[in-house]
Amino acid sequence: MAELLLDSNIRVWVFLPIVVITFLIGIIRHYVTILLSSEKKSDLQQVADSHALIRSRVLRENGKYIPKQSFLMRKSFFNSDNHGFFKVEKRESQAKNPMTDPSMMTDMMKGNITNVLPMIVIGGWINWAFSGFLTTKVPFPLTLRFKPMLQRGIELVTLDASWVSSASWYFLNVFGLRSMYTLILGQDNAADQTRAMQDQMSASAMMAPPDPMKAFKAEWEALEVCGHDFILEGIEEELTGGIIQPETIYIKNKFA
Amino acid sequence: MAQHMSWEEARGILRKLREEQVRDGDLVVNLWEDVLLEASHKLGNELWNVYEQVCVAALDCQRLDVADTCIEALNAKFPGSVRVRRLEGMLLEAEGRYEQAREVYKAILDKDDANMFARKRLVAILKAQRKIPEAIEKLNEYLKKFMTDYEGWNELCDMYLSMHDYTNACFCMEELIMSNPHNHLYHQKYADIKYTYGGTDSMEIARTYYAQAVKLCPNNMRALYGLFLSATNLSMSSGKGAKERSANSKYAAWAADQIRIKYKVTKENELHWAQQPEQQMRETKVLESIEKLLESLQVTN
Repeated sequence: MAELLLDSNIRVWVFLPIVVITFLIGIIRHYVTILLSSEKKSDLQQVADSHALIRSRVLRENGKYIPKQSFLMRKSFFNSDNHGFFKVEKRESQAKNPMTDPSMMTDMMKGNITNVLPMIVIGGWINWAFSGFLTTKVPFPLTLRFKPMLQRGIELVTLDASWVSSASWYFLNVFGLRSMYTLILGQDNAADQTRAMQDQMSASAMMAPPDPMKAFKAEWEALEVCGHDFILEGIEEELTGGIIQPETIYIKNKFA
Repeated sequence: MAQHMSWEEARGILRKLREEQVRDGDLVVNLWEDVLLEASHKLGNELWNVYEQVCVAALDCQRLDVADTCIEALNAKFPGSVRVRRLEGMLLEAEGRYEQAREVYKAILDKDDANMFARKRLVAILKAQRKIPEAIEKLNEYLKKFMTDYEGWNELCDMYLSMHDYTNACFCMEELIMSNPHNHLYHQKYADIKYTYGGTDSMEIARTYYAQAVKLCPNNMRALYGLFLSATNLSMSSGKGAKERSANSKYAAWAADQIRIKYKVTKENELHWAQQPEQQMRETKVLESIEKLLESLQVTN
């Protein structure tokens, strides 16, 4: 197969512009996100609830390290029928409908404006303006499997798989410029599209806002079945008896 | 020493101190004044973090002039920022103008109800004014909301101790133990409080927790002494069966053995260091008194 030779104009007018455009768009995205981001204020009640839940979890996990009486005292603070924290505290469900809460709506809007919209517009524009070029060649042979990934927009069956088309070059840049952004904008930048996409995916998974009453109920149940098993029982015996401390072994071997 | 340091080194040190939350005001202010002040334009965006760090450090060592310049610089960059407000509040505190500082923190809380920092500073003001009971009340209120702020529990424990309220101090210590059950110092402190509280039950708990502290850190001398003393105390107390008494004297003997070994090892290690005669005297005295206590134990049993 004959070696392909690329016009050097492709380098100047396609290859480099795509790099520069994607890079600059990342930078702009970073600053636009900073401009648009609204400071999230935490609600005191919510913070207090989450602290209580964490404390109850710690009690379940590490309650064995404190004397039985202390454990029961705390358990009753959370679970007692008459005045237990999880029984008495009532919170209205905070399952807000995003459509009715305007602040949530604007947040979503902002997210879309900085994430999805540029993706579509720029992607479409790049596709339209720079489509149909081979831009570069990766310096190693690749199997045919890579063809749809590296040669988007150029359906040539006989073309070697290591050639990269302009549209694919754009995507490679979108995903590959992350370390450049960290270098220039610092650790927590908003320029990276891949991270934004991950955020969106995880956000849709966690979309259901935490309902404190439900969390309280679950934690109440977990704590209710949690017994107390004092782990320090007989620790003196263990310490003075058969088990030799590693420190003492070392000392005895060296100095006895 | 600091004059010969390059600004990169100084920046590295400050960064490390910031990350590990080490509180060494003197070092920070010295590094700032000797090295970084001239190179501050090289720090880039990190400069603002450094300003904040230096400001707190300067307040720690009463260098109010340094703190003032830091706050001015920060104010010019971030007008209306809550973090700068809190630094201003701390400066007012350092000057002893507590009422004005309180106003500042109240204003922060009006804006952001869940600001842990401002709430804690309000407690700190009360403590600085020596109004310990009020501070305790305020801190309790705070901990009701922020139950997992272990720094707060620790502070509350110390305040209760200063009021000789051992039961409540124990409660705080239990929270800390649960937060990190592998910290031998928490166990040791809990045992200390229980030991001070007295009574057979508390003494038994003290012995248990001293033992745990020794188990977690065999070099914790204070815990070893505590184990020895609490076990000795229990073995001599009446109202216990002979079996328990002998068990307790066994623990005491073990602890005494451990202490003796520790002394022997350190002495051998330090043999080629010329040892101070007074220190030697003191060590022999400690060992002698331990021997005496042990002997009296064997007599009583």
